[in-house]
Amino acid sequence: MTADATMMRWVLGRLLVAMPVVLGVTTLTFALIHLAPGDPIYLLAGDGGSPAYYEDMRAKYGLDRPLLEQFLRYIRAVAMGDLGYSFMFQSPVLRLLLDHAAASLLLGFAALALGSTIGFGAAVLCVITQSRVLDAVLRGSATLAYAAPVFWTGQIFILIAAVKLGWLPVGGISTARETLDGADWLLDVARHLVLPAMTLALPLAAVIARVSRASLIEGMGEAYVLATYARGLSRLRVIGRHVIPNALVPVTALIGQHAADIVAGAALTEALFGWPGVGYLVLHASLHRDYPLVTGAFILISTSVVLFNALSDAAIAWLDPRIRLQ
Amino acid sequence: MNPRPAPHLWIVAVVICLSPAACSDASRPTTPATTTLVVSQGGDPGALNPAVTTSGNTHPVTDQMFNGLVGLDEQLNPIPELAERWEIEDNGATYRFHLRRDVRWHDGETFTSADVKFTFEEALLKYHSRTRAALEGLLTRIDTPDPHTAVMHLARPYGPLLQRLDVVEASIIPKHQYAGHDLLSGEPTRRPIGTGPFRFVGYTPGDRLVLERNPDYFRQGLPGVDRLVFRILPNPVTAVAALENGEVDYIGSVPGPDVARLRASPAIAVVPSTGGSGGSVCQDVLIPNVTRPPFNNLHVRRAFAHALDRRFIVERVYFNQGQPATGPISHLLAWAYTPEVRQYPHDVRNADRLLDAGGFRRNANGERFGVTFTHASNHHRLGQVLREQLKAVGIRLDLEVLDFNAQVEKVFVKKSFDLGLASFCNGADPEIGVRRVYVSSNIGPFPFSNGAGYRNPRIDALFDEAASVVDRADRREHYLAIQRLLAEEVPYFWLIDSEGLRAHRRAFTGFRLWTGAFAETVRLAAPTGE
Repeated sequence: MTADATMMRWVLGRLLVAMPVVLGVTTLTFALIHLAPGDPIYLLAGDGGSPAYYEDMRAKYGLDRPLLEQFLRYIRAVAMGDLGYSFMFQSPVLRLLLDHAAASLLLGFAALALGSTIGFGAAVLCVITQSRVLDAVLRGSATLAYAAPVFWTGQIFILIAAVKLGWLPVGGISTARETLDGADWLLDVARHLVLPAMTLALPLAAVIARVSRASLIEGMGEAYVLATYARGLSRLRVIGRHVIPNALVPVTALIGQHAADIVAGAALTEALFGWPGVGYLVLHASLHRDYPLVTGAFILISTSVVLFNALSDAAIAWLDPRIRLQ
Repeated sequence: MNPRPAPHLWIVAVVICLSPAACSDASRPTTPATTTLVVSQGGDPGALNPAVTTSGNTHPVTDQMFNGLVGLDEQLNPIPELAERWEIEDNGATYRFHLRRDVRWHDGETFTSADVKFTFEEALLKYHSRTRAALEGLLTRIDTPDPHTAVMHLARPYGPLLQRLDVVEASIIPKHQYAGHDLLSGEPTRRPIGTGPFRFVGYTPGDRLVLERNPDYFRQGLPGVDRLVFRILPNPVTAVAALENGEVDYIGSVPGPDVARLRASPAIAVVPSTGGSGGSVCQDVLIPNVTRPPFNNLHVRRAFAHALDRRFIVERVYFNQGQPATGPISHLLAWAYTPEVRQYPHDVRNADRLLDAGGFRRNANGERFGVTFTHASNHHRLGQVLREQLKAVGIRLDLEVLDFNAQVEKVFVKKSFDLGLASFCNGADPEIGVRRVYVSSNIGPFPFSNGAGYRNPRIDALFDEAASVVDRADRREHYLAIQRLLAEEVPYFWLIDSEGLRAHRRAFTGFRLWTGAFAETVRLAAPTGE
């Protein structure tokens, strides 16, 4: 079978698996959010109304229908590519999600890149220097960084880098005081990106550092590594050409797992920094019981989880020729 | 294959940015040609039609773009706005409004009485929860004899009408824009056209909402800033940091633990406020379910009231953002308020005695009974303090923490609760915000109603009589009687007359914090060398 045909079969197989996953997530989300206590009408319409008023409003939003009917209508609309209309924003759910996805992707990829670089870099440094002190520091700080909740580290970053030192802005994706364009705008967005990306990257860097360290140390003891030493290669060359490439496989799988989180958006980090991404949107929507928006967001999130898992499988196969796509 | 970490451009950007040279000045406001006031906003407003919602995320924004027929002065007395004067006829059953002739909508159309009639008939009386609840069936007809006169005919004399006509309770919207559109979701809700000091520029959900000065505003010389930007910052801690950092100029609430730090900052003014778009003159009130034991017992309610140490709660839970409440009307609504009612000072011995008298004796563990306090997660501190205070009199308080929406449903709609909590805003008149909490006609499965389920025909009658007179001295007598009677019966436990703090950078001055249109008169402060 040709490589193209294998690829095709693999993609089709993935799609087949994706459908029930997304449908399952949709059903579960729909059920959970509707069964949770709370009613969107109160926050939508305000307080102090008469009973007739709330009845009218419920009818207006179709919330007076039986749950099963609401669900079937929803599924039918989704199948036609219509994710519905947000109660809160009075605009199409799909457009809202796509508008917010860009910010989430930017933050997510920045955090992923930062976390991977710091984590893997630190592990490589430990292995190259073989310093016990450095190793102890790495392991200790990784445990701390992994254990610290993002809303705490984020607040510490804000207090130090923004409020005390005044180096970086506190919140939002760009300055609210003026309208910038071109390079000024890019620089402004980059400055707003630093703190939330660091906050998100920290626990990720910790996990990656620990996994890479273990994987690198294991690699150093392999027979083929001893053989390359015997062939007279320098230590740096051995690590650079042989140990690192092999250690990348488990790390890539790990990154793939975390990449799926980035569209889901780190809701807490986004809310803390006022970052206009999907995570913030989902948080806001669930607090307001904006049913169409919450369900739509979870469809998007589950789809991207499936997508990123597939991408990371493909990346691993590419890194390690022994692993084949099936 | 030679894998190595790919260079990521953005890291370069980050590194460049971390060098102070690149970032030194951008976060400090320079003196731009245009003045921009940046306001922190806690959540997305969504659709922007103020006449169909009372939402606390919508009104702070829309109240800067729209007007009411009347405004409110600092003592919450009605003053001319879209109406330049009015006559009250038939003992308060007819109100004749003479409208300003120089008002234009942001799209250039002229404002007329047809807009007033349209707003009430198609929007406020159908969709604005408070206005509909009060005026449905009462406001029977609006006549527009000419484009500059609107006459409201009421089914019976009604004193507090004018207080209900400000921008928060009754924003006037343009008929020519909305005719033929859905009022809740139509295009005009996304591109609002008002008559107010600022006009709409753009809205990016989750990020910001931008307004600009309305150059044709009917009040000459206002507003005092060129641009008004609402920056959406859901986390209050971030909002405070952004204020300190100079990224925002105004925050609508100050978290208690930050008050002292902000007060110490020379660039920031911390100011008390009683009102605004979220509702004015509010009280935090514990809601007992008086329809079932133990709170259907008057001895228990009085004992419970004596067991609460309100002063401690105001100091430690609310960080002194208000005063201990003495009854059902806030002292800030001065013309209607009286402290001369039965008081419940913190008195454990008296509470013990009353509970014994009520038949709730202590068991072997020293406990009399347990009740569940259903509340939102932001009040967990209050829950813990209450639990300690009640333990002293033998009442076990179980804490049930829910999110805001779920808690509202459990207490007000499902009514499956012992003790709840709400912030009830009195509004500019007891008729707006006090009546709904106590009259039996307002017991029902809907939020911020008479959640306790308290029924007293005498109270119902007193509220009706108080609303039907126009003269304030006369109305005051009715409200005094109401307060005395309610204090005897304690259908609710009044904790605090809230006086929330707001904070702004001293670079700006002129905030009107008692009204929805807080930004109308804001201007740059004279330079003081900041």
